[in-house]
Amino acid sequence: MSTLDPVALQVTGGALRAACEEMGAVLIRAAHSSNIKERRDCSTALFDAAGEMVAQAEHIPVHLGAMPAAVAAVLGEEHAPGRSWVLNDPYRGGTHLPDITVITPVYERPDGGRLLGFAASRAHHADVGARVPGSMPADSTTLEEEGVVIAPRILDDAAVHELSERMRGPEQRRADLRAQLAAGAVGVRRLQELARRLGVDGLHAATTANLDYAERRARACLAALPDGTRTAVDVLEVAEGDLELRLAATVRGDEIVLDFSGSAGPHAGNLNCPLAVTRSACVFAVKVLTDPDIPPSAGAHRPIHLVVPEGSLLDARAPSAVAAGNVETSSRVADLVLAAFGCALGQGTMNNVTLGGDAFTYYETIGGGQGAGPGSDGPSGVHVAMSNTRNTPVEALELEFPVRVTTYALRRGSGGRGLHRGGEGVVREFEALEPMTASLITERRRHAPPGADGGGPGAPGRTLLNGRELPAKWTGDLAAGDRLRVETPGGGGYGTAHPPV
Amino acid sequence: MLLGVDVGGTFTDAVLIDGDVVVTAKSPTTPQDQSLGVLAAVEAALALLDARPGDVSVFSHGMTVATNALLEGVGARTSFVATAGFTDIVELGRQDRADLYRLQARHPAPLVPAERRVGAPERHAADGTVLLALDDAGADLVAQAVAATAPQAVAVCLLHADRHPVHEQRLGAALARRLPGVHVSLSHEVVGTFREAERAATTEVDAALSPLLADYLRRLLDRAAAAGLPEPSIMQSSGGLTSARAAAAHAALTVLSGPAGGAAAASLVAVATGIRDLLCFDMGGTSCDVCVVQDGRVRETAGREVGGRELALPMVDIHTVGAGGGSVAWRDPGGALRVGPRSAGAVPGPAAYGRGGTEPTVTDAHVVLRHLDPGTALPGGLVLDGPAAHAAVSALADDLGLDVRATAEGILRVADAEMVRALRVMTVERGVDPRDFALLAFGGAGPLHAARIADELGITRVVVPRAGGVLSALGLAAADRRTDEVRTLLLRGAQLTRERLHEAAAGADEVAWDARYRGQSFELTLHGVAADPAALRAAFDDEHRARYGYADADAELELVTVRRTMRVPGPEIGLGTGDGDDVALQGPVVVALPGATLVVPEGWSGGADASGTVVLERR
Repeated sequence: MSTLDPVALQVTGGALRAACEEMGAVLIRAAHSSNIKERRDCSTALFDAAGEMVAQAEHIPVHLGAMPAAVAAVLGEEHAPGRSWVLNDPYRGGTHLPDITVITPVYERPDGGRLLGFAASRAHHADVGARVPGSMPADSTTLEEEGVVIAPRILDDAAVHELSERMRGPEQRRADLRAQLAAGAVGVRRLQELARRLGVDGLHAATTANLDYAERRARACLAALPDGTRTAVDVLEVAEGDLELRLAATVRGDEIVLDFSGSAGPHAGNLNCPLAVTRSACVFAVKVLTDPDIPPSAGAHRPIHLVVPEGSLLDARAPSAVAAGNVETSSRVADLVLAAFGCALGQGTMNNVTLGGDAFTYYETIGGGQGAGPGSDGPSGVHVAMSNTRNTPVEALELEFPVRVTTYALRRGSGGRGLHRGGEGVVREFEALEPMTASLITERRRHAPPGADGGGPGAPGRTLLNGRELPAKWTGDLAAGDRLRVETPGGGGYGTAHPPV
Repeated sequence: MLLGVDVGGTFTDAVLIDGDVVVTAKSPTTPQDQSLGVLAAVEAALALLDARPGDVSVFSHGMTVATNALLEGVGARTSFVATAGFTDIVELGRQDRADLYRLQARHPAPLVPAERRVGAPERHAADGTVLLALDDAGADLVAQAVAATAPQAVAVCLLHADRHPVHEQRLGAALARRLPGVHVSLSHEVVGTFREAERAATTEVDAALSPLLADYLRRLLDRAAAAGLPEPSIMQSSGGLTSARAAAAHAALTVLSGPAGGAAAASLVAVATGIRDLLCFDMGGTSCDVCVVQDGRVRETAGREVGGRELALPMVDIHTVGAGGGSVAWRDPGGALRVGPRSAGAVPGPAAYGRGGTEPTVTDAHVVLRHLDPGTALPGGLVLDGPAAHAAVSALADDLGLDVRATAEGILRVADAEMVRALRVMTVERGVDPRDFALLAFGGAGPLHAARIADELGITRVVVPRAGGVLSALGLAAADRRTDEVRTLLLRGAQLTRERLHEAAAGADEVAWDARYRGQSFELTLHGVAADPAALRAAFDDEHRARYGYADADAELELVTVRRTMRVPGPEIGLGTGDGDDVALQGPVVVALPGATLVVPEGWSGGADASGTVVLERR
């Protein structure tokens, strides 16, 4: 139990959060790729010297619980002032290859002294040198096909150059990596300042107290949930059929155990989910179910326990492909937890679309319907769970890429019926202006997002190429004039609608 | 004589300036028709100088009519026209949800519901090629469909119309023919920059609020004319004044009219004191507004959200946090001391107001620490109730396991931390070092916190004007008149010539350029750079290096937008006069100012100049 007084607790917690937010601001403003700048697909965090995450500025939830694994992966390396580390290997601290993490150790002074902790940033790069532009292939079966695998290594100028040259858009990669280094430098400065004010031991006491504080708040919320076990079953859609995922969620006192025993084994494709990502989805869902104001730190994760069958779909092992695990399987894991607690579900997919050729890469995820709640309709046309990335403006897209958008609208009538209606999905139709490759990773095409408490399901999504329906996962070539139409799922409804009197 | 009138949440302030003489008057704000309170405050101010309405030569006005309507989501019955297939672009916005973890949280309801959205059969490509032409007959068919929705106002936003407005113009003409007397806002006129979601949302706000604002300004003009006052100029969100006619035509320009008065006041202080770099915080009962003056210029932003709606217009860059004198202190479930965002408001108000409030607030902490003297009379006949404040703080102290004094001190530290965070967002997060600035504090609670906050940020100079309680009204009287024209150009490579830049800059008093490295999707705004491609490149590389630590020599520069400002300087005025004595202050000491209390902690000292402005320095 920490001894920091209630005032210092709040003041230091705020300072740590502010430092992370400032890192995020630097990263978003300095990065070049629209994934990071427009869509804010990135996160920044500070860690203590033992590698515990003390604060995070998460712009999208999928990074929420997955950053600690990255720092753990470099904890034992030989650190020095001014040295930074980079990684994206899903089996050594990463999630999927486009998410590149940069970690900078923080010392007492610029020239050395004691190790205070680590500043880390994770950003979704527009390309990491996969077979297909955008590095989100729909049909990869090994990690190597998904791009350059970076085991933890030192990130200096030479490394920035060398890595960038192995990816598409090397100038943009360089700029994005430098932006991550700049974010790290800000984290270093801020943590050093805090150490000067509080002393190194004082800073340690403050970070420890803040971790304990988040833990206390998380436990207070979990204790308020009724004890007992709830279950949920759901599926992922692959060409060969469905992959089943199972959850037994048990609340006991002020802890929760999420047991995924009985879930599908490894996938020959890329829906495999590294454990860090599974954890991230669970942390997200628990946060939704408890108090979203609990500070995002590893302390809040302490009362959450996972039981995941070793080597299963939700605990992927090298060299399985993982491109879709991070974006789609993670959504389904969050769905399982929410469904177990009686929530109507949102669209349950990010509708990943990548268009590209040698000269360009355009990656977009498309919002849909959110599930309704006991007191309100589900919002329409939004990202519902593990993502909250912004769209690319039609005008910006058309100025930059040989692509035209022919429709961008709500998909009316797609929200599930009920006392409270599920949110509406979205229609976004693209026209290729020159030959290009398209890659789709989607879910909820065969199975609709379920409602709850008598509410109806949302409409499943579909994707059409010149009017012909495509499977949920697809990679292929588009000719000039081809139209790719994505209709995203609606959200589930909540409660039985009152019959007309 | 110069007259400035600022409508606040509780009081309407009037300032009358006659040479060196500055008088101020307050009258209760009249929310149902703000012009009543305005006239009442003006009468009270005139009476103080025994002056007549005809003596007033310039009348400047800041108000919250558009702001309130926007926050409450009330506006004229508005219809929306967009390129067919894109009529939902405002509701879709940028597709991010309102809250990451509260999954049913919603953005504010669309101002135009689905049944009043009309698609126009037209399309431009990004390069201006007409893919689907809209002729006059087609435009009239759209206007007919719009007329069937019985609108009081119409917003039009077509794809790429910021650079290729011909179809919007055609629709504007058709709507004017079909719907005479109905307000029409065209996106290329209101906004002029690319990115359709923001341009459309702004145009919709403009259309929905303009009829309401026009009604208000008509009433105000009538009352002013009847009283013999000159026609008022209206403060825009940009911090400059415009005519009442121009304001009524585009309500989106005055959404931040009220806070912009405070920003204008800040630049007035910069001029009057010669201190050119000011971090300004205006702390009242429920919130704290922060803005930045750099080299005498109030920092602006190209757009922001107001009340959850995106506005892509030049505005003073103001950041507001919910920390004020009435912010309630509480213990959260994890045992930390929290302050706000809930406020005790005016009723019951802080426990010290003796109106039945029992929750401890920031004001109560000041009373416990004797920054505010119990027994002091406040405006409105209130007398501070020391025992009530003590009881409220002491209950929280028991809860936290601290003594009463430590709790009161803690409340202030936590509230300070909140404001420091707001000031950091406005400085370090934008690549600016706060230590290069003096802290300008105003508003009823600002001077109580100024020196403490300065210490937290490493700032060594604090400025507190004597007229802090009505500073916004004073700022209005001194503000420039201003017109802005913002236009997306998207020039790069061989298109980026001296000639094109000169053409873009011609006739403007000030020009700012939004540029980026090709491939970036955020722009940096460059001020005071000559219309020359090489100068632009150098200035951009410098700015990029200053903000992000590197410049990209290999990247192509793209000029995205030109921002033209036409400006007529406002009158030169001072900050009024003090008591005439050059008071020396040595901390720790608490000083009563008119309408505010200044806390000078240990280690701070300074004095008041002839205008009564206090400047404190850290020793």
